[in-house]
Amino acid sequence: MITFDGVTKRYADGTVAVDNLSLEAASGTITVFVGPSGCGKTTSLRMINRMIDATAGRILLDGQDVKAIEPATLRRGIGYVIQQAGLFPHRRIVDNIATVPYLLGWDRKKARARAMELLERVGLDPKLARRYPFQLSGGQQQRVGVARALAADPPVLLMDEPFSAVDPVVRASLQEELLRLQSELHKTIVFVTHDIDEAVKLGDTVAVFRVGGHLAQISDPATLLSEPADDFVRGFLGRDRGIRRLSFIPAADVPLSPPPPELVLAEGKPVGWKLDGGLRPYGSFNPATDSLRAALDASLLSANGLAVAVDGDGGVLGVLGRDALDAAVSGVARG
Amino acid sequence: MDEPLVRWDWIARNWDNGSPLAIRTLLENHVVMAFAPVLFGLLLALPIGLACARWRLLYQPATAVMNIVYAMPSLALFSILLSVTGLTQTTVIIPLTLFSLAVLIPAVVDGMTSVPDHVRQSAVAMGFRPLRRLLQVELPIATPVVLAGVRVATVASISLVSVGALIGQGGLGALFTDGWQRQFYTPIIVGIALIVLLAVGADLVLIALQRLLTPWSRARRSA
Repeated sequence: MITFDGVTKRYADGTVAVDNLSLEAASGTITVFVGPSGCGKTTSLRMINRMIDATAGRILLDGQDVKAIEPATLRRGIGYVIQQAGLFPHRRIVDNIATVPYLLGWDRKKARARAMELLERVGLDPKLARRYPFQLSGGQQQRVGVARALAADPPVLLMDEPFSAVDPVVRASLQEELLRLQSELHKTIVFVTHDIDEAVKLGDTVAVFRVGGHLAQISDPATLLSEPADDFVRGFLGRDRGIRRLSFIPAADVPLSPPPPELVLAEGKPVGWKLDGGLRPYGSFNPATDSLRAALDASLLSANGLAVAVDGDGGVLGVLGRDALDAAVSGVARG
Repeated sequence: MDEPLVRWDWIARNWDNGSPLAIRTLLENHVVMAFAPVLFGLLLALPIGLACARWRLLYQPATAVMNIVYAMPSLALFSILLSVTGLTQTTVIIPLTLFSLAVLIPAVVDGMTSVPDHVRQSAVAMGFRPLRRLLQVELPIATPVVLAGVRVATVASISLVSVGALIGQGGLGALFTDGWQRQFYTPIIVGIALIVLLAVGADLVLIALQRLLTPWSRARRSA
């Protein structure tokens, strides 16, 4: 667990970057620091591994004050990923990943074997190991950055806007990859971003910062969306937070009806709606894994408004009518 | 007037005839007096440049001093040094070392500046302590820029050595004074040709060295 206890960072010129911050990042979870630029989120992150030292207050890593640990030793025990990946241009990918194991004095063979293992773990082709960073795409470099941070298996991972410099498609796949890795590794992750959608998608806990280094609200993403603490948080969450809230409500309990005869099937799987003499598009969702938002999306995609429920193999389970969907959504709105 | 521009028989007779003015001896002296300043210059420029990159306030005054030295006529420096080091190669090597510093110190500073900030930051965050970070991250990344400076300094030094002929230590420059005094062009042409060949050859060696040391350097690859 990482604990901020009354932490303040004041610079020599009097600027206060972080003002009396107290919060906890629970072990094995992702805590996201989110806020506009100048809100002190990156400064707060960097105080954890002492890239910046706090002016007042304490930061505890599993109960131990980080100021009691020599900085280089502390940092070798904390994974760190930054925006442009920060890979060493003069080192091959395998040696980039093995950076911290080398610093910790592992022998070369063991360090490289570990690096190869991680290369695959983050979804990269082992053939890339002998390349130099400039020969990789931005998304690949970022994956190498994550692999490097994980190399010595640190319990804590700090991520400073790691996916901000890549295009939206790559960003989405990197986010999925991070969630997949986290479901296997259970690291204590502190993740900094200015993108509220990313925060809500990745965070088990989201801490919203406001300019001047104040904590505006800290809670789980669903609560954040339904009960913003004040106008600043409400404004920062944006206009469609109602819709986004549906992402956190599972669609498992929605009442399904038997599929009507207009639904055209092929081997038990939906093909389309037979309407007005033609085949029209349909939308589908999987009640076992999807959220109400996916169900609503499926309904909006269907020519007749009926969302088709399918199982993991694509077989039809039933359909969700507008009335049933409306009832489920209204239930969410009432809390 | 029907004298040929280049008299090959003169070259053959004077290539290696055992005299101190044999072309081969002059060439060897030239190489020593050209490369020693670059080597010494690099050894001095590394600590000075690193200090200037670390404490930027130093850089301005250091550059000012270097530029003044660079602007000084080599003849003036020779006459000052003559009273100390006499008519020796040292009298040529010292001013050329100072001249090379004017190129090499900025090269080291620029090289250190060329290390991207996110790379330096991530080295700190990985747990590098300052000395190891310098040796394993910053200096290797600075190498292409420093080597570019070394190439300029080497070529300049090769050409500047000939001025030493004024104090009888000019390497191939001796061929110029000899030629002018006798109104005989062959030595002059031989001198120019060998100096240009030496410069081109040294530059090619340095380019090869650069490719060998920095296979990761983006500049030379299209990938």
